[in-house]
Amino acid sequence: MTDVKPGRSSKPIKPVTINRRLLDYYWERLSKNRLSLAGLGFIVFLSLVGIFGPIFAPDPQKTDFEIRNLPPLGCSIDESVYAINTGEFTTTVIQGSPDHPLGTDSKGRDMLAMLISGARISLLVGLLATGIAIFLGTFIGVLSAYSGGWVDNALMRFTDIMMTFPFFLLLVMIVFIFGPSLAIIVLVIGLTGWTGAARLIRSETLSIRTRDFITASRALGASDARIMFNHLIPNVSSLIIVMATLSIPGVIMAEAALSFIGLGDPMSTSWGTILNTGQHSLDTAWWVAVEPGIMLFLTVLSFNFFGDGLRDAFDPRSGI
Amino acid sequence: MRSYIIKRLIYSVIIAWGIMTITFILLRLGPTSPVDRYILNIAARGQDVESVRQAIEARYGLDKPIIEQYFIYISNLLQGKWGWSFSTSQTVVDLIASHWVYSFQLILLATIFAIVLGVGLGMLAAVKQNTRIDYAASIFSFIGISIPGFWLGLMLIMVFAVYLGWFKTYYDTNYPIWSLENLKQLILPVLALGIGELAGYLRYTRSAMLDNLRKDFVTTARAKGLPEKTVIGKHVLRNAVLPLVTIIMFDLGSVVFGGAYLTEIVFGIPGLGQVSFNAIFANDYAVVVAVTLIGTFLVLFINLATDLIYTYLDPRIRYD
Repeated sequence: MTDVKPGRSSKPIKPVTINRRLLDYYWERLSKNRLSLAGLGFIVFLSLVGIFGPIFAPDPQKTDFEIRNLPPLGCSIDESVYAINTGEFTTTVIQGSPDHPLGTDSKGRDMLAMLISGARISLLVGLLATGIAIFLGTFIGVLSAYSGGWVDNALMRFTDIMMTFPFFLLLVMIVFIFGPSLAIIVLVIGLTGWTGAARLIRSETLSIRTRDFITASRALGASDARIMFNHLIPNVSSLIIVMATLSIPGVIMAEAALSFIGLGDPMSTSWGTILNTGQHSLDTAWWVAVEPGIMLFLTVLSFNFFGDGLRDAFDPRSGI
Repeated sequence: MRSYIIKRLIYSVIIAWGIMTITFILLRLGPTSPVDRYILNIAARGQDVESVRQAIEARYGLDKPIIEQYFIYISNLLQGKWGWSFSTSQTVVDLIASHWVYSFQLILLATIFAIVLGVGLGMLAAVKQNTRIDYAASIFSFIGISIPGFWLGLMLIMVFAVYLGWFKTYYDTNYPIWSLENLKQLILPVLALGIGELAGYLRYTRSAMLDNLRKDFVTTARAKGLPEKTVIGKHVLRNAVLPLVTIIMFDLGSVVFGGAYLTEIVFGIPGLGQVSFNAIFANDYAVVVAVTLIGTFLVLFINLATDLIYTYLDPRIRYD
């Protein structure tokens, strides 16, 4: 392997022969995109918070009405109390306390602990549901393209039907029918969210299927399963990774929205649940609605940045 | 052309059948049954649960064979017998007939807002590629895509209604639909729903325009001495419009209906989303299912319309 093809950049592109080098090559391309790296950094940070945070944080569901609506550290609010026997307003300034650096909500629950619990729920739902959806989508897409004929037809018509349902309305209906729990939410998002992936992977597989190396391996006597798993799927793997990364934000938002309208798991605290509490105290405790929203926004933004970077890194035609 | 329309119609009927079948299966698989609402009451009064169960199942036709139930379900849907909403004491059809207009005005205004600004800014960003305007537009679109619409709505209420007091914090149904006051109180909801849409359209317009700007016919058009306005407005835009129509129509189903559902809840607009939301808490089965079905049938109709609009937008498409 001595001949080195000159690349677009001044540096010659290294030949890619071993997986290790391939990863280095992609990493090199990815790391040129600063926003993408920042996104990855935030995702890693959030994962660490989600995995280890709950060990150190207090119980997010513990209420304490003595300290309700405590502002975040460094902020203060004026609370007016009307004394019925004297008929006077007394205004007290409430300062944030270092015990609750991000404040407390209307039931005195610690915001930081709730946000940490929310990070865990969001990532868990995001990763698991996307995993199910992408697995199903890949399977159906490859099977459909590879089989052709009536299998392809039936699977694609079924995909069309599923695609017609507006995603969120379908989620609302199914979670309503089957009852809100984390397992149901993950399953439902996973079992309904595979359609886009199936279509994309089907069309990609259709173009790969006709290539010579597939014909060659079939001539060598490879079984259908072998061709599917050893040749077709590895060739669409970069597409699968990009699709997965870019579909996580939608899943996280869907879970937050479900919890926000009261269809979240009542046993766990997610960002949507906090937002639901916060919308009733916009005038007295703004931070309860602001903080989980910012977390949600940053998480979604990070996955979008990272996914975009990955897509460019995997695409040899993109001019990085 | 005519055979194509007939083909699309038959195809839509098949999808509609699939939608009805899937909802039927979901409803029958679900753990809840109409009996549940009565069971506790009956048991508390010491009546015989089993005989009452049988009576209720006979009343709802649940004692019939599953195939017969299936045909009754479909024929009821087709005849417009969508069930009884016991929480509002009227038929589901009446309930929806008196509320759809609130959803419609919101979706219509938000979509017009998003298309006009999104396509406009997208064109601007494409023409001024790699300038500050382009970067600003791309940052804006990333933020717009990542910001959860319902949280944006909460923030808009907090800033513009609670703190600045420019708007009411709730939607006032006393204003007639066709009035300036109504238009004014729709400003925040339209922004909350429209900004996400706008960001998407901006992105798609920009990339569709850039794809076409590089093509030879643009060079030819410029070489002919056509003014830049004509080149962009007529030649490039005309070719970029087709993928845009697909995206906009697809978004209507997947993004806009879900977004409108949440926006209505946040702003208290009594549209179909709010109706479904209230029904969730009242455990009003028929309403939740009906709203999802209506959304789905609308998407089906929109898809059909998109296919037919194509004929006029792109004369290259041949239907045979």
